[in-house]
Amino acid sequence: MRKLLTGTSLGMLMIAGAVGAANGADYTPVTDARLANPEPQNWLMTRGNYQGWSYSPLDQINTSNVKNLVPVWSVSTGVDSGHEAPPIVNNGVMFVSTPYSQVLAMDAATGEFLWRYKRKLPDGFSALHNTSRGVGLYGDKVFFPTLDATLVALDAKTGKVAWEAKVADWKDGYYMTMAPLIVKGKVLVGVAGGEFGVRGFVEAFDADSGKSAWKTYTIPAPGEPGSETWEKPDTWKTGGASTWMTGNYDPATNTVYWGTGNGSPWFGDQRPGDNLYTSSTVALDGDTGKIKGHFQYHQNESWDWDAMNAPMLVDIQKNGATTPGLLTPQRNGYLYWLARNSDGSISYVNSEAYVPQNVFKSIDPKTGRPDVDLAHKPGTGKAAQFCPGLWGGKDWPYEAYNPKMNMVFIPSNENHCNNLEGKVEERIPGQWWTGVAIPDFHFSVDTKAGFFGELQAYYVDNGKRAWRDLYSNSMNWGSVLATGGDLLFAGGTNDRMFRAYDAKTGEELWHFRSNSGIIAPPSTFEVNGVQYIAVASGYGVDPAFQQTLMADLVGWNADVPQGGVVWVFAVQK
Amino acid sequence: MQDCDLHRLELCRRRAMLGAAMALAPWLIFPARAQNQANDPTSVPPQPGDRLIFLAGPKKGKPIRSDELELGGPQAQAYPADPNGTVRDGTRLNLVIAVRVGSDGLNEETRERSADGVVAYSGVCTHQACPVSMWSKDKKAMVCSCHGSTYDPKDGAEVIFGPAPQPLAALPLKSENGLLIVAGGFVGRVGRQSN
Repeated sequence: MRKLLTGTSLGMLMIAGAVGAANGADYTPVTDARLANPEPQNWLMTRGNYQGWSYSPLDQINTSNVKNLVPVWSVSTGVDSGHEAPPIVNNGVMFVSTPYSQVLAMDAATGEFLWRYKRKLPDGFSALHNTSRGVGLYGDKVFFPTLDATLVALDAKTGKVAWEAKVADWKDGYYMTMAPLIVKGKVLVGVAGGEFGVRGFVEAFDADSGKSAWKTYTIPAPGEPGSETWEKPDTWKTGGASTWMTGNYDPATNTVYWGTGNGSPWFGDQRPGDNLYTSSTVALDGDTGKIKGHFQYHQNESWDWDAMNAPMLVDIQKNGATTPGLLTPQRNGYLYWLARNSDGSISYVNSEAYVPQNVFKSIDPKTGRPDVDLAHKPGTGKAAQFCPGLWGGKDWPYEAYNPKMNMVFIPSNENHCNNLEGKVEERIPGQWWTGVAIPDFHFSVDTKAGFFGELQAYYVDNGKRAWRDLYSNSMNWGSVLATGGDLLFAGGTNDRMFRAYDAKTGEELWHFRSNSGIIAPPSTFEVNGVQYIAVASGYGVDPAFQQTLMADLVGWNADVPQGGVVWVFAVQK
Repeated sequence: MQDCDLHRLELCRRRAMLGAAMALAPWLIFPARAQNQANDPTSVPPQPGDRLIFLAGPKKGKPIRSDELELGGPQAQAYPADPNGTVRDGTRLNLVIAVRVGSDGLNEETRERSADGVVAYSGVCTHQACPVSMWSKDKKAMVCSCHGSTYDPKDGAEVIFGPAPQPLAALPLKSENGLLIVAGGFVGRVGRQSN
């Protein structure tokens, strides 16, 4: 500890000469061109680029000097609960959103505090996941989806509200936690609420005026394509397919790829049919929101295995040739290679389990449709165990892709299961409506397995695992950042650590014990020629709940200290 | 301006009204809004003499009689309603849960607040203000629908599992020929509490 503190003060000295670029007049407007080709020194969107790589080409911090990484500034967010937003950086200004719908702006180099936006949430409001996964930038505005399902545009220089647009009615169970996706002057948002019987949608708002430009439901109404997959009348109205994570975008074909959530209620026999577009990736026209294609990972969803993460846009091998593709490790435990066709349709290429899964007996090699083992499919009045459990092989935390290595890095969990039995329940608007209560989750783990969380590396071309790091005393809820310095940065464990790995070998090269558990995605940026690594530390939401279950099951300490702090690191010279 | 949004609503409103009395013109607009809300009968907290109205189920919208609750749980969700039938569902902070636990094993304070073996509490979790709508058969206890905080109905809704920092506020009851009647205001703080 003493050593670290010494390092910190030296680091502070080293950075003290940095000139803040944050003063109002210097703010650099964000344009379509910048979003399509973000400068390496900036982190303009939640996953760093439209392809969703969580990758930065910056290489000043690399495998040889990362051992000298020290904190150079930090700031308390002033709130508890789960911090899940990456620091977003535009030419020296950093924006971090927090639980309880707040946004903080700082000078990215010096940490000077610039402004805070604090949403006044409605009387009696609550959210199942009291978090935010980031802001979007365009022009001179910051776009922030709030928990009470409102999109707020803030002046990037002052934090003052430019406009607000109501997206949905929180009293009906809708809420918003994802970062927006900015496409050609429009701000695209999705909604959470799959545990409350909402009908998911993606909506686009004009960045200047806040007016709705289009809205596309992820469950078709009767008569629309796909509506035949809802065989029982009216189930589509409350069928879920929430849209609670940010989409990715292909400017070449003007196609937005967005992930959808579980079916609602959770037990598929209450809503017979395949239930499009639950647990799917939908391809939307960037101008109109029209659905151009889709891929459904599993039909008649019954495991709470959302397909919320949009796939990464990468080139993949198909029939011996390189083709535009989609790569995505899904919550259902499989890593998928898909082809993104020029007309927006999506074709199945291949898939491999990246954690043991006991539900799919096989997957059709042409269509990608799984053959489900009904013994492991829970239903109404029918208990069934399935592994991985409802938190999946990987929940929402981001994998990362390094284009130089053509490798993907997956934060995952295994050796855990659930045993669920459904009930028919009356829907009370705005209340939990899954068909099973939390005390009846029957979460279990294999105590002989030796590990639960892990970080895995796979080669994209052949699907072989390169390495993995196993966590014997923690789950892994840490989004991964890959960099041009051949490094990975990730937290995610209950010991409050922030780690740097050699991306090629999986060797841990550096770690830092922060204030709380880190479940927010790291980002990296450069100001005045100095590369920084930034991450918010603040445990809460599902990892904290799961930790209390593990306390009962295997004796882990249920108390992972909470409270948000944004940390910024640089190399001590 | 008082921040009345998530917690300590009643105290907060009192302060807001006090603020209105003390404040000069530029400030009046804010306390006035709080006072209007406090005067809205659907948003005031449960009052002595109120009935409890089923939020869901076959008797949705009807006043709760103690023998209509299943002995041993689970709880029923309800909103208070004044004797004229005005339901106080203007804010979710008025959500109430009532559970028929019987008369055995109750601590003294809980027994005093009970009627016909029924105890009532705020239905709003003290962790993140989510509805306490679930029931643990194993623990015979009320469970929050967000993060599983579990409250013992026989022991003043003390927290026996999960992240909630405080017990649920209790709502004293009396019975008039089996009809459950609110006997007093909430005892304790309603809504999200800090540690």
